[in-house]
Amino acid sequence: MMSQKVLLIDLDNCIRCHACEIACRQEHGLTYETKSRWCRVITIEPRWINQELHMDFIPMICFQCDNPICAYFCPVNAISKKEEGVVVIDEEVCNGCKLCIYGCPFGAMFSNETKNVTGKCDLCTSRIHSDIEPACVQHCIGGALQFESQKELTDIAAGEHILRMGMVYYTSSKWRLRGEKIG
Amino acid sequence: MVAEKVSCQRCGDSFISLQDQGKILKIAKDKGLDKWQVYFTLCQNCRAQVFAEQMIENNLERAERVKHVAKRRHERFYTIKVDTRLRTTVYKSECYICNQGCDALVHVKDGKVVLIEGDPSSTVTKGTLCCKGLASKEMLYHPDRLLYPMKRVGERGEGKWQRITWDEALDTIAMKFNEIEQKYGKDSIVLATGTNRGWVRHFLRFANAYGKQWIGPGIAQCFYPRMTGQILVIGSNALENPHYDQAECMLIWGCNPTNTWPVKGLGMMEAWQRGAKMIVVDPVFSEAASKADMWLQLRPGTDAALALGMLNVIINEGLYDKEFVDQWCFGFKELKERVQQYPPEKVEEVTWVPKGKIWEAVRMYATTKPASITQCLSIDQNADTISTCRSIAMLAAITSNIDIPGGNLISMPKKVHDRATDTLSKYLTKEQHEKRLGSKEYPFLAGEACILQPSAHNYTAWQAILTGKPYPVRAIYCQGNNMLAGYANTKMVMDALMSLDFFVVTDLFMTETAKIADIVLPVASWMERSAVTQNDQTSINLIHLQQKAVQLGECWTDFKILNELAKRLGFPERMFPTDEAYFDFLLEPYGMTFEEFKKAGFISVPYSFKKYEANGFHTPSGKIQLYDPRLKDLGFDPLPSYREPTESFVSTPELAKEYPLIITTGGRVPVFRHSELRNIPMLREIVPEVLVSLNPKTARELGIHNGDAVIIESCRGSMEAKAYLTEGIDPKVVQVPSHWPGKNNVNLIMDNQSCAPMIGSAQLRCQLCRVRRKEQE
Repeated sequence: MMSQKVLLIDLDNCIRCHACEIACRQEHGLTYETKSRWCRVITIEPRWINQELHMDFIPMICFQCDNPICAYFCPVNAISKKEEGVVVIDEEVCNGCKLCIYGCPFGAMFSNETKNVTGKCDLCTSRIHSDIEPACVQHCIGGALQFESQKELTDIAAGEHILRMGMVYYTSSKWRLRGEKIG
Repeated sequence: MVAEKVSCQRCGDSFISLQDQGKILKIAKDKGLDKWQVYFTLCQNCRAQVFAEQMIENNLERAERVKHVAKRRHERFYTIKVDTRLRTTVYKSECYICNQGCDALVHVKDGKVVLIEGDPSSTVTKGTLCCKGLASKEMLYHPDRLLYPMKRVGERGEGKWQRITWDEALDTIAMKFNEIEQKYGKDSIVLATGTNRGWVRHFLRFANAYGKQWIGPGIAQCFYPRMTGQILVIGSNALENPHYDQAECMLIWGCNPTNTWPVKGLGMMEAWQRGAKMIVVDPVFSEAASKADMWLQLRPGTDAALALGMLNVIINEGLYDKEFVDQWCFGFKELKERVQQYPPEKVEEVTWVPKGKIWEAVRMYATTKPASITQCLSIDQNADTISTCRSIAMLAAITSNIDIPGGNLISMPKKVHDRATDTLSKYLTKEQHEKRLGSKEYPFLAGEACILQPSAHNYTAWQAILTGKPYPVRAIYCQGNNMLAGYANTKMVMDALMSLDFFVVTDLFMTETAKIADIVLPVASWMERSAVTQNDQTSINLIHLQQKAVQLGECWTDFKILNELAKRLGFPERMFPTDEAYFDFLLEPYGMTFEEFKKAGFISVPYSFKKYEANGFHTPSGKIQLYDPRLKDLGFDPLPSYREPTESFVSTPELAKEYPLIITTGGRVPVFRHSELRNIPMLREIVPEVLVSLNPKTARELGIHNGDAVIIESCRGSMEAKAYLTEGIDPKVVQVPSHWPGKNNVNLIMDNQSCAPMIGSAQLRCQLCRVRRKEQE
């Protein structure tokens, strides 16, 4: 089993192809009607910095927080952090009140409008249990999304800027990310 | 009672009830989550945006990029397998949601497609698939799919249809075609096709077997100039096959591969991850440009001038491969003389690219070995497309980056390809070749000089329909082409099609074009058909298997429709009794039937480099032709040159006073293919509307704000779009994506009459327009 692996998002490589978004929706049966975009690519529009033009693309998904903020808001205790680190919502328990959605600072949770329960990225738990990487990682054309062990991550991003958010590690060779620099 | 709503502090959309916000703020306070306070006042979309912006905070501090190529899972190849996790039957197939052809896996459960994913056994896609391919299932089961043949029962375009049987449809088509042919002559019927989805050669075979001319899939504006240019120079296709695996430098010319050719995008990004240098030539700051080491922002339509300027520097600075040029290039002296007309100073004036940048880019490209060029259709849409494409091919040639690892590879001969290309043109008489619409004006498209499969010229064909000159064209059979969305001068195309006596459209959906047909035929999508496929632009040495996974309604494959039509029209022996019989025919040189191929799954042709060393290049001189006597014989310039766009500040200064902005059209987004897929909500929500890119400075002068509805006008008409303000475009240029329907169609304002010489390309990248804010009614 691929436990202990984390999601590395190398911002150098994201090229806004949106394959991760649609791969996610297909893998999890998130039809348009569910209004659930668990994985999204955010654009930071072209702007001049030091006479250079920059444009950036930031894939955003649930970070699987160490101490899940959403869980504080759930009145029925439907949200828990599993041993392998993934934050899961028990659909049987969820009452669809949406407080967790409003509580997640990152906009990573969605009300599944056809099921009336909250959903979010579970790092493709079912795929991980079958020893395959999450769907977004498999289909990422730019190679921005990678599913690697912490050890490999240190090599891959050595000397680059790193920001850890739960199980998601953003790296960049260009931007000093708001967060610590390791490696 | 409506609960009171709170608005997002950033975008103003109401997103939460006052009551819920009270709860959130209380819990946050109780649990010590105050530091996230600012996010609680934002809607979900703005939270993600603000987090992303704050993460970067424009703190530019470059560190060395780690040269690491993302690992990809590789799996064993199967043609059919059972997926134990999803309990599905998985068919290995080829995605043809666009004309690229990507290995894909189709998961079927209880007779329905439940999932499409990339194929981790593929050496080409390495398990990836783009967002369009991944969303194929949404297209397959779309409620608006055409499932049965239909005939028009109301007025043309009125939208009244009646379901009919295939027998009735095909009998009617045969009867009408025979009638029209008797009344107006053999050439009064024209066949039209869309982009290659694995069946275009079969379509051409049908056209030739039937003895009719075809209007190729917009090929004068896409593919033919590039192919013709490089075949004239190199003798084969090479520029379409950049070899990313070992490239140390990539020159990406007028192309944004991850949006347009994701497989090339994958190769480009892997090379980039490996540390290869990247130069992007594009008037717009594209996704590719945002990653590039150098971005050359040229004036739209001046590609040839830039390429000739680069050749000037390479030659005058001695940065070319002298040994290779001596041994393998013909006409270097003449080229050297010609490029003296394009010194960097002059090229800067024409292209707006600073000469210092031209020097720098040339040094990077010419001295980093090996280097590859990636090009795409933007160079097929200017005032002299053949010169443009020849000049760019010459860049690769004199730097000896042809057919070497990491350069541009010459295609391997594929016998299936040769078989498919045997399209029976012998059934056309010499007179028919000469009578092809546009053959005299555009010999490389429609005439004898055409190196590929000659096609009628668009504008000339519409003229023939509208005027009856040089002879009447009264019926069109159109397969997989939404001509009203895709072709310039929508009004002319509409008038022409509306005036036809008989018009048949075969498509997946009731497109704008299908709506004005007399008979509409439902076609099978890529998941509903089997085929033997190969695509020279994406994998130079593989022949792939496409497998039918499901059947919907009465949809027939493109192959079957043409084979059955041939039976009705009286030439079944020139076509095939079944799809499989055609595939058997294609595979014959490999001593394999389609049944056997289905077990094998693919054919791989081993490829070799520097193939020219054995027998030279496939040109008259056996060398790379920098100077071309054939062009001279045809009355054209034997050397490449720059031709100013027909409409520009330089050529038409008076017109430019009234229409002061350059309009460049056709920049692609990843979620649509041409006119397709806008009806897939999941994709459409990513790009909901047509956006015109405007520099903020220009917008300020015009009183336009981001998101305003605007009207874009040319001397031909007007269209509507939404303003998207971006620093990534020159203040004198606007960019409008093409193929949007209705009043958002940029082709409403584009000219199709002033075409590039020799091949007849419409100048879709470089015309003039003006923009104004749409006042609220």
